[in-house]
Amino acid sequence: MAFERTNHNEQDPGDDLLLERVRGKDQQAMAVVFDRYGGMVYSVALRVLKDPEQAEDVMQEILFQLWKKPDAFVQGRGSLGGWLMVLARNRAIDLIRRRKPTDSPDDVVLVSKTNLASETERNVLMEKVRDVVKNLPVEQQRSLELAYFEGLSHSEIAEKTGDALGTVKTRIRLALIGLRKALAA
Amino acid sequence: MTGNEHISQEDLALHAMQALSEGDAAAIRAHLATCAVCRAEFAELSGDAAMVGLGVPQHQVPAGSRTRFLDRIAADAAMAKESPKRETRGKVLPFQANAWIPWAVAAALAIVAVSLGIRLNSLHQELTAATSQVAHLTDETAQARQVLEVLTSHSAQHVLLTADKTSVEPTGRAIYLADSGSLIFQANHLKLLALDKTYELWVIPVEGNPIPAGLFRPDAVGDATVVMPPLPRGVPAKAFGVTVEKAEGSDTPTAPIILAGATAPASGE
Repeated sequence: MAFERTNHNEQDPGDDLLLERVRGKDQQAMAVVFDRYGGMVYSVALRVLKDPEQAEDVMQEILFQLWKKPDAFVQGRGSLGGWLMVLARNRAIDLIRRRKPTDSPDDVVLVSKTNLASETERNVLMEKVRDVVKNLPVEQQRSLELAYFEGLSHSEIAEKTGDALGTVKTRIRLALIGLRKALAA
Repeated sequence: MTGNEHISQEDLALHAMQALSEGDAAAIRAHLATCAVCRAEFAELSGDAAMVGLGVPQHQVPAGSRTRFLDRIAADAAMAKESPKRETRGKVLPFQANAWIPWAVAAALAIVAVSLGIRLNSLHQELTAATSQVAHLTDETAQARQVLEVLTSHSAQHVLLTADKTSVEPTGRAIYLADSGSLIFQANHLKLLALDKTYELWVIPVEGNPIPAGLFRPDAVGDATVVMPPLPRGVPAKAFGVTVEKAEGSDTPTAPIILAGATAPASGE
């Protein structure tokens, strides 16, 4: 069955409508979800795993989970794109640490006021996030990088950087709060 | 961190990034289950952490991955329609030595056949998609070939898993290619489990802890399969095992081991 590749424009259905159709096992709707978020999910997994094949495996699994169990994402408690990215990042970290998945999709709850369904807004946000992270103090960037993309625990980061545990904790908190404030501004 | 005190923002931020030890994470999960204030703050920080991922360089998905995904959901939808019919099928013949080979080949061909059936129905509506269908078929053939490659590769490890000394009834066969992390497992004559239990397959690596390789439940006649579970690549196995776990699975195998089998050198070595 071939589906037309979707173009992102203002006529695209919102995530809520898409999910409603995915619940009804509408394959065309799932194709739209793939086109909208597949690249984003793949890019996060690739950044962590640095292996295109493994990154694709993660992307396929995450999106297939959504197909099988769309109700795991509860509307109103975050953006679908953000939720998929968190699942992909966590699964990729589980893989590099060779551990069983540490959380189920139902456990991932996040607050996000961003509209990732709109390609325009998504691109603006991406630029903004890159800019904010680039301008964080170097130590905060390093701690965030080690925790988020390399999956190190705070004690492993402290050991690697030679910093105190409390310092590592504070840096990660400040980095996240800094990102929150900058995006809200 | 426990009791009536709220969890610090530092610890919640680390928990949002899974950067705490398992002990600390478990304590926080327990607290979050009862504290709405911390739960709300944790959700905020999880949202912040999600945004970090938005800053990574964006890449196109690999060529063919869209087709592979759409094939997969099409096959899943077809199987969902087919499953009620399977309930009424005749009695399954007793499992015989080497009977798994035609079974596995049939399973691979069934994947192709199901997808072909779907395409036949859609041709009436999608005359303009002829070109993409050729690519589609190629991907499906490649998928079947991948399964057959695992089944026939000289370097694949074939392992027979048997029950403990008191019973030889349940059996399992694992075929594993360590380089690609590909695993096909088939079990027969398994006992049915209560709804709150599941079987879990484990890869026992030469070094390190057992790696979970999938949860499964047998059908009405005790047969079950696990095909290509997500596994890390390049992990040599010294054995495989099956345990009974709680329905959501487990991080570590729970005794007793229902089925176990050690690897032998691949033929030709």
